[in-house]
Amino acid sequence: MRDAWLYPYVPALAATLADDLAELGYSARARPLEGEPLAGLAGEGPADADRAGGGVASPGANGSGSRGNSGWRPPALVLVTLDARAIAVANERCARLRAVEELAEVPLLLASDENALRAGNTLPDGDELLVAPWSVDELRARVERANQRLGLADEGDVVRLGTLELNLATYQVTIDARPVDFTYMEYELLRFLITHPNRVFSREALLNRVWGYDFYGGTRTVDVHVRRVRAKLGNEHATHLLTVRSVGYRFER
Amino acid sequence: MPDRPADLDTSYVLRTVTERGVRFVRLWFVDVLGTLKSFSLPTSELEQALEEGVSIDGSSLEGSVRLRERDVIAVPDPRTFQLLPWRRQAPVARMFCDMRLPEGTPFAGDSRQALRNVLAQASALGYTLQVGTELEFFLFAPLSDDGALPVPLDRGAYFDLTPRDEGSDFRRETIEHLEQMGIPVTASHHEVGPSQHEIQLQYTDALSMADAVSTFKLAVKEVAHEQGAYASFMPKPLEDQSGSGMHVHLSLFEGERNLFHAPGDEPLSEAGRRFLAGVLTHAREITAVTNPWVNSYKRLGGGFEAPEHVSWTRHGRSALVRVPSARPNRQSAARIEVRSPDTGSNPYLAFALLLAAGLRGIERGYELGPEVEDEAPADAPLLPADLREATAAFEASELAREALGERLCEWVAANQRREWRDYQRTVTEFERRRYLPIL
Repeated sequence: MRDAWLYPYVPALAATLADDLAELGYSARARPLEGEPLAGLAGEGPADADRAGGGVASPGANGSGSRGNSGWRPPALVLVTLDARAIAVANERCARLRAVEELAEVPLLLASDENALRAGNTLPDGDELLVAPWSVDELRARVERANQRLGLADEGDVVRLGTLELNLATYQVTIDARPVDFTYMEYELLRFLITHPNRVFSREALLNRVWGYDFYGGTRTVDVHVRRVRAKLGNEHATHLLTVRSVGYRFER
Repeated sequence: MPDRPADLDTSYVLRTVTERGVRFVRLWFVDVLGTLKSFSLPTSELEQALEEGVSIDGSSLEGSVRLRERDVIAVPDPRTFQLLPWRRQAPVARMFCDMRLPEGTPFAGDSRQALRNVLAQASALGYTLQVGTELEFFLFAPLSDDGALPVPLDRGAYFDLTPRDEGSDFRRETIEHLEQMGIPVTASHHEVGPSQHEIQLQYTDALSMADAVSTFKLAVKEVAHEQGAYASFMPKPLEDQSGSGMHVHLSLFEGERNLFHAPGDEPLSEAGRRFLAGVLTHAREITAVTNPWVNSYKRLGGGFEAPEHVSWTRHGRSALVRVPSARPNRQSAARIEVRSPDTGSNPYLAFALLLAAGLRGIERGYELGPEVEDEAPADAPLLPADLREATAAFEASELAREALGERLCEWVAANQRREWRDYQRTVTEFERRRYLPIL
């Protein structure tokens, strides 16, 4: 079962969600509402939260700032429940969740009651909004839409960008229908960035996410690969792969 | 959200092979001498090979000295999968292999594994090594069998038959192939000697660079062959011309910080100076690996700015290690350039030993001696004068044994001893020319 993090600011809504999620094949994990040290930086994970909130993944954040040891696995889905009373804390929570790089590709859903929608209220930044009462079908549809919006298309989908085509099922990249020979790591880097568009990833984060943990190469490897991917993409498409000075890289779609 | 399966790289390979109509995959590995070995696998066998590896005769890793037969398992590394750009009609791909024992543990005679081990030690200290290389080689007319001197392409018979920019066409073609294979080139130019070329490979992590150097040598030979020429990495093919080396640029990173970078005018930080002191202190011990052929020492002792002494410099021309001047605004550029290695060496073992020597300098706080300008002082230690001396220093090296392990060290030494013995038994042209008339 895939994990879904659930922030039960409104216990009644959270209980309904947990049942619905189970029906969709998610295992809902209640997250602590206070004191969760969800840092806004890659490399630091919500390790303490695991103890409090119950087993999302193996803790092991060591905060050394070096890559490859944050030790927790992002969930497949994050849900924040809110009502008029909880709207401020929910806002703050969502802002902090948004700042966690590991959660960048995880859809964030808001589950709200009607009261929270009153004029003058600022709803948190979420990918989809559920308003009670909802059905399991609506939940499923919202999750799918959020995934689509994040570019997390299902395997088998083809990402098209002008004349550039990336086939996620066959791992082939074509430009003007001509195959481009990417190496595996070049392909993986491009795939990752193109399916997580418009977000900045640090070199450390890319090393973690694309290269994995048993790589001894160091962050400059990322620069080298980006240069190569750009060269193979050619002028037209290379301009989408942006360097964000002193931060990292972003793919613009 | 689709979870990426752990063996994504394997499915990438299997799918690409189908999509691109690849019928054979070459599995590559290097023996202890750095010679690239290859065996061809039909695509139908590929999935099983990726899962279980392929059993091969382990003595094929031992170089020219076959000590004993032992089955080892070659496990292809899917991340090194590449289509070979010089096989345009029928697509052929390659993968580098890691060698394992049938029990599944890494095989101690595998050069790639040896480099990985040292990289893991560095990684445990928080360091990553970045390596750039300058690779020199000659282009000759196809060799004749009668032992005649090789003919450089720039002059002599072939000059008339080829357009004037033959060399630059050649380099362009080579560079295109390399880039397609994920090996970025920073520069290329005609070298000092006739038909001598240099291609610089962009810095990258050490294992990728060692794979790149192995690939480079094959790519250069393939392109030369296509163009009716012969490319050679022999360290000193012509007595009166400069030899061919592999200058190795090294820098050590901690995260995104270059440990060698010093603020201000200093060319190297304290860690950088200690690393350099390590390389210099152990230079004599590792020369048998960086310069593994009898002929290597004709280059080192033969002038043309090849290093002969153990020394370092910023502005001099023939020191063993050159330290580029400080560039305060470009911390990533701080590095040392080791000028002794041959392109004909085993890059995995050479990088492993250079790193091990440098790390030891840091760990034990070696002090860096003074810089030399142009002339090395009379008391500067010399690099080994020949392969025998180098082998003796290597065999006595505790650093080498620790870094490479007993088995690889014994293989290196056995090959060198045999090479030296064969050489010693050879009556050379020099002797006949010199002694026949007078004795």
